[in-house]
Formats: sequence, C-alpha cells, structure tokens
Amino acid sequence: MGKVNLTALRVRQTALNQFASGKTSKLPQWVGVVGEIPPAETLIRTRPPQHQLVHRRLKTVTVPYSEKPKVTVSLEYQEKRIKPKKASRLFQPVEIKYEEDQLRSKFFRDHPWELARPRVLLESTGKDFENYDWRRIEQPGKRLDGESVVQRQLWLLNHVPDITESAAYDIARREFYRLRLKEDIQRRVAAEEAEAYGAKFGPSYMEIGMKLENEQYDKWVTWARSAAQVQDQRHAALTGAPDLGDAGEASELEMEEPEAVPA
Amino acid sequence: MIIRRTCRQLLALSQRAPVSSRFQSTLPETPVTPVQAVQTSPKDEITRPENPLLEMVQAQAGANTSAQQEIAAEESHRKNFSKLGTTVRTFYDPENVIRNPPKPSQISLEMLLAAQTHLGHSTSRWNPQNSRYIFGIREGVHIISLDVTAAYLRRAAKVVEEVAARGGLILFAGTRKGQKRAVVKAAELAKGYHIFERWIPGSLTNGEQILGHCETKVVNALDEELPDFKADLADRPSLKPDLVICLNPLENVVLLHECGLNNVPTIGIIDTDADPTRVTYPIPANDDSLRATCLIAGILGRAGEAGQARRLKMAQEGRTTYQPIKAEVLHLDPFTGQPPGGEGQKK
Repeated sequence: MGKVNLTALRVRQTALNQFASGKTSKLPQWVGVVGEIPPAETLIRTRPPQHQLVHRRLKTVTVPYSEKPKVTVSLEYQEKRIKPKKASRLFQPVEIKYEEDQLRSKFFRDHPWELARPRVLLESTGKDFENYDWRRIEQPGKRLDGESVVQRQLWLLNHVPDITESAAYDIARREFYRLRLKEDIQRRVAAEEAEAYGAKFGPSYMEIGMKLENEQYDKWVTWARSAAQVQDQRHAALTGAPDLGDAGEASELEMEEPEAVPA
Repeated sequence: MIIRRTCRQLLALSQRAPVSSRFQSTLPETPVTPVQAVQTSPKDEITRPENPLLEMVQAQAGANTSAQQEIAAEESHRKNFSKLGTTVRTFYDPENVIRNPPKPSQISLEMLLAAQTHLGHSTSRWNPQNSRYIFGIREGVHIISLDVTAAYLRRAAKVVEEVAARGGLILFAGTRKGQKRAVVKAAELAKGYHIFERWIPGSLTNGEQILGHCETKVVNALDEELPDFKADLADRPSLKPDLVICLNPLENVVLLHECGLNNVPTIGIIDTDADPTRVTYPIPANDDSLRATCLIAGILGRAGEAGQARRLKMAQEGRTTYQPIKAEVLHLDPFTGQPPGGEGQKK
C-alpha cells in the first residue's frame, strides 16, 4: 500500500509523451481508442448505497364521516443512524438487509430439518423470479421448500390488510404442511402404481441398514453364548463342582505351561 | 500490412487446419473396384445377412430357465414403457457459455447474476480501492454491484472491438485451472492470442531472448500471408500486444507490471481483493467463479469478433482504420534504418 501506481491508467499520456519526445517513431494503434473510451476513475471514493430496511403493510383506517373504512399503505422504516459511528466508516459498504431475513431465520429455527433437504442453487437465466406469483405457495419450476413459506408469508404481510406476522406465518405454514403431506401420498401412490406395472425396487436404505444391524446382533449373540459358557465354567470351578472344577484347573494349567517355557 | 509474430510456446496462433483437410485420408487413393461376385444360380434363394447375435436372440425367444425368463420380461417391460415419462426441455448447460458466448449487446443484470459475478470476497480481505464497485455486505461477503459490472464490461468490450477493428494484437491471458477453454475460445473469436499456462516473466521486457525463436509473418489487409517478406523479418524486435486481457490479475502481477513498463493497455477482472490500479480498464466481478470468468471472456471474444469482421469488411472495400506499413519500410534494416547492403551498413 502507500503510493498508488498510476502507470496502467496513464498509458495514453505516456504514449503521447514518448512520441512527442521522439522515443517512439510511431503512435500505437490503440492511442485513439483509449482517447475515445477513457478509463474510468477508479480511486474516487463515493458514498456506498445505504440499505434501509422497509416494512410495507396495509392498514385499514376509519375515516370520519364515511361508512367504509379505507385501506392505506403504510411503510415503516427501520430506524437508522444518519451518520455512521465513525467518520472513517463513511465510505465503507453497509450490510444489505431484507425483510424476509427475519422470517427465514424464524422458519428454519422452527424447522431445522428443512435445511437437510437438497436445494437447487443454480439459475440458468437469472429470470426465475419472473415466473413466480406468491398469491399461491406452489410455483412453476420451483420445488416446495422453506423459501416458499418465507416468500408466501412476505406476500401475505405486504398484501393483506391488518395481518400480523404470526397469522401470516400460520397461513403459509399450513399450506406448506398440506402440500408436503400431498407430496408424500403422491410418492407412495406412484411407487404402488409402478410396482403394479412391473417395476422392481431394490432394498431401501432402511432395509439395508436393518440387515447390517441384524448381522451385528447375530454376531453378538454367538459371542455372548460362548462368553456365557466360559463364565459358567469359571463360576462352577470356583464354587467347586467336582467334575467341572478339575477340568477347569487342568485347562488353566495347560494354558499357563507353554507360556512359562520360553521365559 | 501488419507484421504478426507467432510463438509456439506462448502466443499460439489460434488457427487450425481447415475442416476439409481433416477428412482427407493420408493413404494413396486406390480405384475402387466392385468385388462382389455375382452368383446367379437358380437354386440360390434370398440370402439373409447372418446375425452374429442370432444364438442369443434365439435363446431369449425360447427362455427356459427362470433367469432367462426374467431377462426377457425386463426386456419387454423396457420396450413397452421406455417412451413414457417427461422430457426436460430447458435446462442449464454449462458448456453453452463456452460454445456460444453472448454478445456485448446481450449483457443483462440477470445474466451476470446467474453467472455469480456479484460475489466478492470476505469483507476482511477487501481492497478499499474497490469500495465504489461494492453494493453492500451480505453474510460477511462483499457483493459487487451488478450495474457497475455491466457498465464496465460494456466499456471493456467496446475497447476490445475498437482495437480489433484497428488491427491490434490482442492477448487473452487466463492462467487459472479450468479457464483454458474459455481463453482459447475467446482468442479464436477475436483472432487474438492466448495464454493458459504460466506467463514467462520477461516475455515483454526481454522478448528478444524469450520469444526470439518464434515465427513471425507479414500479412496484408485481408489477413493473407505475404511470404516475400520472410527474409526481412530477421533481427526484428519481438512484437508487443496492443491489448492484454487478464482474467486473473492476482496471479499475473508480473504480466501486468511488464505491460505497464511497455505501455500496453490492459483489461482485467477485478475482484474485491484485487488492486484496480494494476489494469487500465477494470471489470469489477468475481474472478473465482469459472462461470463468471467464462462469461466475461466470451463477451470480450465476441466483441473482438465484431471488430475483426468490421476491419475485414473495410479492407475488402479498400479502406483501413490504421496506417499501413509500406513495403519499402519493411525492407529497411531495423537497426540502422538504411536499405540493406547500403552505405550505412558497410560502416
């Protein structure tokens, strides 16, 4: 840091100076181009965009001397310092905030397993939002997920008069639960249909897991049987059953003898 | 006339053999004679070509064992139901941006957003000189302003087009992993040169040593090579590009420094952690996403293509946007400026 090197930005001036002083015999082809399309000013600081959080709500207002209440749009601005904390932060970018951030964090706090579902992050054109209409929770070309609930709740908050945040959340959530249930049923019916037409599904992950677990249990049972037998024998030897005790001692002695020989 | 110098190692000329030559066989052609012997005997009936898998087919038809029956059932099932289901029509093809890059006039904020050009670096890694390109902070990451990116990209595309229209040498440099194909494609479109491996330091400042062995050619306004001037090209200083486009300025500091020393204008993709004063025309964008860099390289390549088309069209009409070099000047000795074999050389 420190000094700024402006060589790259001053190529045209340098070329003209070199030509004028006779260092180069010919002006390069690009001198005219750089003159017509000058480089932008890079080092001038501008005030970065100040993002302000706005809540848009519809409210019914009773108007005096009229029968019908009137619906008005109210915009609530988040309180914000006009000046930043320090003068040195005047040119620093600020945090981008949207109203749905709060709704999103609430939904995923309540439904943490929604985060475990796979999600498509890729956009091919960037114009997916043009197909969305949040009057309904289902959208063409978009999977139903937590984001649908958040966007639906936001639409309700912005377009339904006098709705509270929790009421909008409940409406959006109910729609979501109902569709999730429907998806489950659809999946089951599709599987049944496919089976009826001759499809064969292999063992599911759950069945494979259960099989592996059962194998381990069977292993344990055989091990436990032999371990119990040994324990019984030892116990019998200690309590002094006449026939078993001698045999147990003999086997122990036999076991110890080969070890003693090399030592 | 333009002098062009090509180098096998670095400034590889993006030219391939014409398509027609690829289909030509190297074997000497032999006259094809009909070999089929005509057997006309009244006993011969229509002979069917023998199927090499005839046994298998027969075995399948008369399935005896249970396994064979199962295979046959599966086969018939596939035959009956393979046409059912949906076909996906619109889908994302990552190759598309390389094969068919958009034109500068097609730049839209949605396209840049989908290509992730707006994602910068962690806020702690920023270069404060980039503050005017930054829209805000999201989840601890700087977000580059898309409209600024679009404006700067259009400006850079205009520069590439104009330089190409004036017959300038354009060098595309992208030395990160995966940028190779985009860089080559852009150079191909703009009829420029490309580097996708390491920039050898000194290629500009010490070009005589590093690029001395490279091939050079003289072309006329219609880009046709003039072989008569081959002899005059010896002992000439190595050619310098008129515009360098760098897709990853962070790794190519040496290249940009040499461009500064040699007074060559540069275009570069500047992420939030890069130094924008290193290049003449910065394009504030994400340089870590391959999709973003491929898109930007493709757009600049298309701009170069438009410029080259304009130049060739003018050349066909007998006009040029640049001052052509005369044949006498090319014949002069590059060191003394005297005609070869003249008095100046004798001294």
